[in-house]
Amino acid sequence: MADFLEGAFVASVLAGMIRMATPILLAALGELIAERAGVLNLSVEGAMLTGALTGFLVAHGSGSLWLGTLSAVLAGAALGVFVGLLAAQLRVDQILVGLALNLLAVGGTSFAYRLAFKDVGVKNPSTVATFEPLKIPWLSEIPVVGEVLFSQHLLTYAALLLVPATYWFLYRTKSGLELRGIGDSPRAVDMRGVDIARRQVLAVTFGGAMAGLGGAFLTLAASGIFVPEMSAGRGWIAIALVMFGNWRPQWILFGALFFGLIDSVQLSLQAVGVKLAHEFLLALPYLLTIVALVLNRGRSQAPLMLGIPYHREAR
Amino acid sequence: MKPWSVERRQEVGPLPQILAILLALCGAFAVSAALIAVAGASVSRAAAAAWLGAFGDARAIAETLLQATPILFTGLGVTLAFRARLFNIGAEGQLIAGAMGAVWVCMLVGGGVPPAVLIPLVLLAALVCGGLWGAIPGVLKARYDANEIIVTVMLNFVIFFLLAYLLSGPWRDPASFYNQTPRLPAAARFPELIAETRLHWGFVLALIAAFLVHVFLWRTALGYELRAVGINALAARYKGIRVARVTIVTMAASGAISGLAGAAEVPGLHQRLVLDVSAGFGFTGIIVAMLGRLHPLGVIPAAILFGASVTGTSAMQVAVGVPVAINQAIQAIILIFLLVSDALVRYRIRRIGARG
Repeated sequence: MADFLEGAFVASVLAGMIRMATPILLAALGELIAERAGVLNLSVEGAMLTGALTGFLVAHGSGSLWLGTLSAVLAGAALGVFVGLLAAQLRVDQILVGLALNLLAVGGTSFAYRLAFKDVGVKNPSTVATFEPLKIPWLSEIPVVGEVLFSQHLLTYAALLLVPATYWFLYRTKSGLELRGIGDSPRAVDMRGVDIARRQVLAVTFGGAMAGLGGAFLTLAASGIFVPEMSAGRGWIAIALVMFGNWRPQWILFGALFFGLIDSVQLSLQAVGVKLAHEFLLALPYLLTIVALVLNRGRSQAPLMLGIPYHREAR
Repeated sequence: MKPWSVERRQEVGPLPQILAILLALCGAFAVSAALIAVAGASVSRAAAAAWLGAFGDARAIAETLLQATPILFTGLGVTLAFRARLFNIGAEGQLIAGAMGAVWVCMLVGGGVPPAVLIPLVLLAALVCGGLWGAIPGVLKARYDANEIIVTVMLNFVIFFLLAYLLSGPWRDPASFYNQTPRLPAAARFPELIAETRLHWGFVLALIAAFLVHVFLWRTALGYELRAVGINALAARYKGIRVARVTIVTMAASGAISGLAGAAEVPGLHQRLVLDVSAGFGFTGIIVAMLGRLHPLGVIPAAILFGASVTGTSAMQVAVGVPVAINQAIQAIILIFLLVSDALVRYRIRRIGARG
C-alpha cells in the first residue's frame, strides 16, 4: 500500500514537472529564435503577462478558451512587433527597449485588470473554466508513464513538439540558416540580399507570440484566474534558460524540465504539508540560474552579434 | 531617386537631448490622458486632482519630495552602474538588502542608544548590505563573465524570498497579525525636515548623495576609469585600467546607494520592515536615471517628477477613481517615448542632389 502511494506521488510530481515546464519552455523557444537573430529581447516577462491577461479577458468575455488562446498569441506578438521595430528598425538600445516594454506590460496589465474587474476583490477573483487535460487514448492508461506523459494539456504536447520543430527549423532549413547567420554575421547575410531588419522583427514577433502563448497557459490551463504579476519571473527564467541551454533547443528542453521539477516538488511538498520554509525552495530556481550561468562560462555558443544593432553603413 | 536621405548624426548635442526629453514628456502625457479617458474619468478633473495632489500646497509638496527620496537614491545607483555600461537591474533587491541591514542593526543595538549614534549606524548598515548584495553580480561578471542583467534580476527574486522568510518567522512581530517586524526604536527614526509632514532628512541626504556621485564621476580618477570602461571596455583595458576591479567597485557602490533607499524607507518612513517595502523603486530608478541623462544632478528633477507621479496618481484615484496602477504604466510610457525620441533626434534629414 505504501509503495503504491509513493508511486502515485512520484507520478504526480513528474506530471507536474512537465506541466510547470510548459510556459517557460514556450517562452524560451520563442526567445531562442529572437536571440539567434541577434536581438536580446528582455520583454519576455511582459509579453507573458500580456498574453495571460488578454487570454483571460477574451476567454472570460467570449466563453471560448481557444479564442482566448489565439488572442493571447496575438497580444504577445503585438508586443514583439513593437520591440522588434524599435530594436531592429530604429536601433534603439535593445536592453532598454525590452525593460521599458516589460514595465509597461506589468503596469498596463494591472491597470487593465483593475479596470475590467472593478468590484472584484482579491478574495474572490473572477475565474474561467480551464482547459481539460487531453488524455491520449490507450497510452494514458499505462501506469505512471500514462499519467506523466500522456495526460497533459494540448499546449504542453505542443510545447514539447516545438522543441524538435525549432531544431529542424534552425538547422535543416534555409531560413533557419539565414536566421543563424543574422545572429553571427549579419553583413554576410545582408550581402545575399536578405532584409536583416525585417527578419529580426519577424523573429522577435515570433518570440513575443510564444511568450503570449506561455502566458495563456498560466491563466487558461494552469489556474483559471488572473492575478497581477502572476508570471512571477517565469519570463526572466525563460531568458536565463536560453543562456543556460547554450542557445540549443534540446538543452533548453532539459533546462525547462529541471525548473519544472523544482516548481513541482515545491508544490507537492506544500500540498503534503511539509512546512520546510518553502521560501527556500521557491528561491532555488533563481539561485540555480545564477549557478548555471557561472558554470557555463567559456563554453558559450552565444550568437556573436547578440544585442548589437546592425548598421549597414557602419564599418 | 529620393530628393532627401536620412542620415545618422555623429554627435548629438545638448539641444536635441533636451528636445528628446520634452518630446517624450509630451507624448507620455498624451497617452496618459488617453488612458484616463479609457478609464472613464474626466481628463481635466483628473489632471487638476493630480496637480493638487502633487504640488497643491506645502503638505503635498512635502509628500512628493518624500516619495522622490527612494527613487532618487535608486536612480543614482543605476546612474553609476549604467555609466560603466553595467546594466544593474537589481536596485530593487539592493534596496531590500539595505532595509534588512538597517533593521538588523536596530535589533542588535536596541533602543537604548541616542539617535546621534543609532542613525549613522543604520545608514552604515544599509550602505554595507546594499553594497554587498550589489557586489555579488559585480564579482560574478568580473570573474566568471556572468551576464549582470540576468544575475541582478534573479537576485531580486532571491532576496525577496529571503525577506518573505524572515518576516514569516525569525523577524516577525509576534504581536502583529501581519508579516512584519516589530516597530523600530524611536531613536532610529530620521528627524523630520518640515514640521507636521512626513518629509524627513533622508531627502537632504539623497541630494547630498547626488552631489557626491557627481564629484565622484567627474572629479576622481576612479570615476574617470568607470566612465572609460562604460564607453569602451576593451580600449580601457589596453590603457591599463583594471576592468574587473572597476566592475566590482562600481556594482558595489551602485548597490550601496540603492541600499540607502532602503534606509530612507524603513527607519525613515515605515518604521518597520514590511513585505512590500519597495514599490518598484528599483525599476523606477532605471527610468529616472535615463530621464536624467545618466547625470547625477539631472536625476534630481527626474526623481521629483516621478515622486509627483506617485502622489499625483494616488490623488487621482481618490478624486476620480482611476486605478493607481496607471502610475507604473505612465512611467514606462515616459521611458518608451524617451527612447524613441532619442533615436529620432539621432537621425537627420538631408536634401541630396541640390548640392551646388
